[in-house]
Amino acid sequence: MTDAPLVELQGITKSYREGERERAVLKDASLTISRGEWLFLLGRSGSGKSTLLNLLSGIDLPDSGEILINGKPVSRLGERERTMFRRTRIGFIFQSYNLIPTLTVAENLLLPLELIGALSRDRKVEALELLDQVGLADRAGSYPDRLSGGEQQRVAIVRALVHRPLLVLADEPTGNLDAETGREVLDLFQHLLRPSGATLVLVTHSGEVAALADRLVSIKEGRLVPTTLGSGALV
Amino acid sequence: MILMRAGLRNLLRHPWQTCLAVLGVALGVAVVTAVDLANETSHRAFQVAAQTVAGRATHQILGGPQGLPEELYRQIRVTLGFRGCAPVVTSELRLAGPGAANLQLVGVDPFAEPPIRAFSSQFQNGQALAALMTQPGSVLLLRQNAQRFGLKVGDSFQAEVAGSRRRLILAGLLEAEDELERLGLDSLVVADISTAQELTGRVGRLSRIDLVLPEGAGGERLLRELRGLLPPEASIVTAGANAGALEQMTRAFRLNLTSLSLLALVVGMFLIYNTMVFSVIRRRRLIGLLRAVGVTRREVLVQLMGEALLVGIAGTAAGLVLGVILGQELTRLVTRTINDLYFVLEVRRVPLLPGTLVKGALLGVLATLAAALPPALEATGAPPRAVLARSFLEARSRRLMPVALGCGLLMLLCGGGMLAVESWGIPGSFAGLFALIVGYALLVPAGVVLLARLLRPILGALFGVIGRMACRGVLVSLSRTGVATAALVVAVSATIGVGIMVGSFRTTVQHWLESWLRADYYLTSALGGEARRRPPLDPALVRRLSGIPGTGVSLTRRVSLATPGGPLELFAVEIPRSTFSSYRFKEGNPERAWDGFSRGGAVLISEPYAYRHRVHLGEPVVLPTRFGPRSFPVAGVVYDYGSDAGIVMLSRTGYLAFFGDASVDGIGFYAMGGGSAAGLPARILALAGESRVRLVSNAELRRATIAVFDRTFAITGVLRLLTMVVAFVGILSALMAMQVERARELAVLRALGLTPAQVWGVISGETFIIGLAAGLLSLPLGVLQALVLIFVVNRRSFGWTMEPYLNPELMVQAVLLSLAAALLAGVYPSLRIARLQPALALKEEE
Repeated sequence: MTDAPLVELQGITKSYREGERERAVLKDASLTISRGEWLFLLGRSGSGKSTLLNLLSGIDLPDSGEILINGKPVSRLGERERTMFRRTRIGFIFQSYNLIPTLTVAENLLLPLELIGALSRDRKVEALELLDQVGLADRAGSYPDRLSGGEQQRVAIVRALVHRPLLVLADEPTGNLDAETGREVLDLFQHLLRPSGATLVLVTHSGEVAALADRLVSIKEGRLVPTTLGSGALV
Repeated sequence: MILMRAGLRNLLRHPWQTCLAVLGVALGVAVVTAVDLANETSHRAFQVAAQTVAGRATHQILGGPQGLPEELYRQIRVTLGFRGCAPVVTSELRLAGPGAANLQLVGVDPFAEPPIRAFSSQFQNGQALAALMTQPGSVLLLRQNAQRFGLKVGDSFQAEVAGSRRRLILAGLLEAEDELERLGLDSLVVADISTAQELTGRVGRLSRIDLVLPEGAGGERLLRELRGLLPPEASIVTAGANAGALEQMTRAFRLNLTSLSLLALVVGMFLIYNTMVFSVIRRRRLIGLLRAVGVTRREVLVQLMGEALLVGIAGTAAGLVLGVILGQELTRLVTRTINDLYFVLEVRRVPLLPGTLVKGALLGVLATLAAALPPALEATGAPPRAVLARSFLEARSRRLMPVALGCGLLMLLCGGGMLAVESWGIPGSFAGLFALIVGYALLVPAGVVLLARLLRPILGALFGVIGRMACRGVLVSLSRTGVATAALVVAVSATIGVGIMVGSFRTTVQHWLESWLRADYYLTSALGGEARRRPPLDPALVRRLSGIPGTGVSLTRRVSLATPGGPLELFAVEIPRSTFSSYRFKEGNPERAWDGFSRGGAVLISEPYAYRHRVHLGEPVVLPTRFGPRSFPVAGVVYDYGSDAGIVMLSRTGYLAFFGDASVDGIGFYAMGGGSAAGLPARILALAGESRVRLVSNAELRRATIAVFDRTFAITGVLRLLTMVVAFVGILSALMAMQVERARELAVLRALGLTPAQVWGVISGETFIIGLAAGLLSLPLGVLQALVLIFVVNRRSFGWTMEPYLNPELMVQAVLLSLAAALLAGVYPSLRIARLQPALALKEEE
């Protein structure tokens, strides 16, 4: 880990409309994340964890406050600029894998490279080597609906890393998996993400997952609060 | 490339939806192409035929009902020394027997022809020319036609010309050098001018004289000299004017046909919009994923529009093929109607007109892209987070409903405004009508919400939770149900609107016939077949039949007068005052009109004539009499639905005085003094003897008139049917997309314990509500369309007044049709979903 923070959240506020009323999800939330740090988010259902990931990725915008990633004020960028930023700098792992169903496993991996215009032979080979590392080289030509949940999540992890992002965001990556498969996925995080030096922000309910974190933060009443494993933040 | 593959495979993974979308485009394009092909083919055939007959002529000399004296031609050629002229005698001719066909007899002077007409080169065949000029009844036919009728050179055959059945001899064959020439010669029977005069009973008379005048001062000088030679009833017109005027007669008919086909395309576009909306909705999650991994809005938009383009191209290609096939039948119907109502036109082969195919192709592709753009923009415009959340879409739909209501009302106002601008003519009327349709369609989602809420307690009471779920399902899926219902409303309302218009027209014509046809029996020549021009009756026969005791008669003669403004239909009548009094007057009244009319000093004009020529009560109408052009004041404007070109009615007294033509082509018989008409037919036929006459009763004639009416509107019946097919395909596609998209939700219901029958009940209930909503909501729009068609479109096209008749049976049928279409379209999707295994559907997938 280096000293200069990769991510800075300054006074972030975010509300959503639910029917007739407004619900404040984040209230004046502030946070810094160091480069290479693994920061895990804990909190009750609906506390705003996924919202925070969406804000970090530029998928959504805060109502007020500022988000800086690698010194860039993401929250002040236009929609296209945020998309381009997300394309090159962010890797996203979803709870429900979210592979593109009409693309094969290999094509799902190569899509991020195509988007950044880096579909060279070397990068393709690198991507397929990553696939091999997760034990799915023989499934490169299969469609996602032919894979189990664990296999799909492994592909999703590789997809999130293939374009060498600065920041990886994972939204309950083991949430839909059984315990054993979940442990396999966690092993992958250790073996693939740590060596890459990527910064990881991960949302989880699982104590086993939380144990891998460098730092734990929970969201309480819209604010980001440092926490520990035994504090009862896991629900 | 990878991104593109994702989209293409999505199309292939949902073959049913893709095929239905392609089918929707194909049907819309097919209808437009078929109608355009029919219109263009008939238009082209007419133009080519007219040009072939007119040839290189720059001007024509036209006469009155009896044509021109032959002497005039001799004066022009010999006295004036002008060689660029040729005499012509024309008449309708009908081949008798099983291969009956309406053709045009053209009698020419072979030696005067070379400067005028291209087919004059055929006269170089010395043998044929000799036979043509010396053998009575000799004619030339196009080679292909001779083969079609099974004739060889030298064969004789029967034909009906000018009220007589005559024997003709095929003296030679006309050869066409190319397709265009073939088209021009297709409907012609060429004879020597003497033969034509003899066959038509006009010895010593000509139909017209064609002139090829030089340009500039020389031509002007000649024109002046020629005018000095003309008898009073004759006039010189430019060669194109007459043909142009004839063609104008069918313009309104063809324009209406085109507009109806565009209505089918609008329904088709709605279908495409419908399908693209569902395609986008179904892939909202995928779109959200792509946006989340860094695909920009423009890239997603390009992909969606690219898929739409593929659907458009495939559908357009299929539509063009289907359109060409459909065009063959539609051309037959259009040609038949033109023959029934306007003039002789024969089209045997429907060519592949490149212009029509290009038009159809562009329209299909552009319509698909235009229909796909709004849902694509909507999907790409929303932030990725919103796209990933279904609840956002539905919440947005509900929030946008007041906006849609406002826009819909605005469009309705704009449409009304456009209809009010008379100077925009027929195109403006249809533009206004389309604005009304689109504006109303925007109100449909609100209507669906209202109906679903009203039905909830009723269906809940009848079917319990299943009924309430069905209502709720319609409400929470408004982004889908609203669009599907709007598409069905547009289609059903179009059938209602056109149905009411045709029914109103039919009722109006029936009422008009009651006032117009007052005689007990009508007699005309039996010869002449389907031709509109009735040949004159033998004068001796007329005298015999006019003197039947206890019987009153009306004598009529219908002629076409050549005027500088085009042909004018003159209807000369001698009728009892009681019959005259029964005529329905739009302007004036029978009592005041009778004196002037009966003396022959004033005329009656029909409503379409008054509309086209902007003539009113008391204003003059100029007729080309044998004494020259003469003004006749209009004594009344009467309702007449026999001709959309309009007629001028003159009493027989006036006709004899000013035109010197004593011929009669129709006699009406009235049983007088309270006597029965039952014995009349026998007495009439006994007096007719060997004369070939046709005697019909009043009731039979009304039935025959209505039959022609029904034949004319057979085309609209075909288009209405196609529109409903397009709508059915649309609703099927929408329902299938909806149910596939809800597979997971319905699987949860099954997992909770609902039986397949109950799930089927929920889906069928939703389908029922959509069908009922569409049926009920289509009624006001259908009536509105009918009123626009009756009071605006028809008025501006033909000048006719129609009595609107809202047939309740038609409206009930429309609601039932809408229900049936929706329920039928829901059968397959609901059975499919009901049979789905919950475990499979609950498995994590798109």
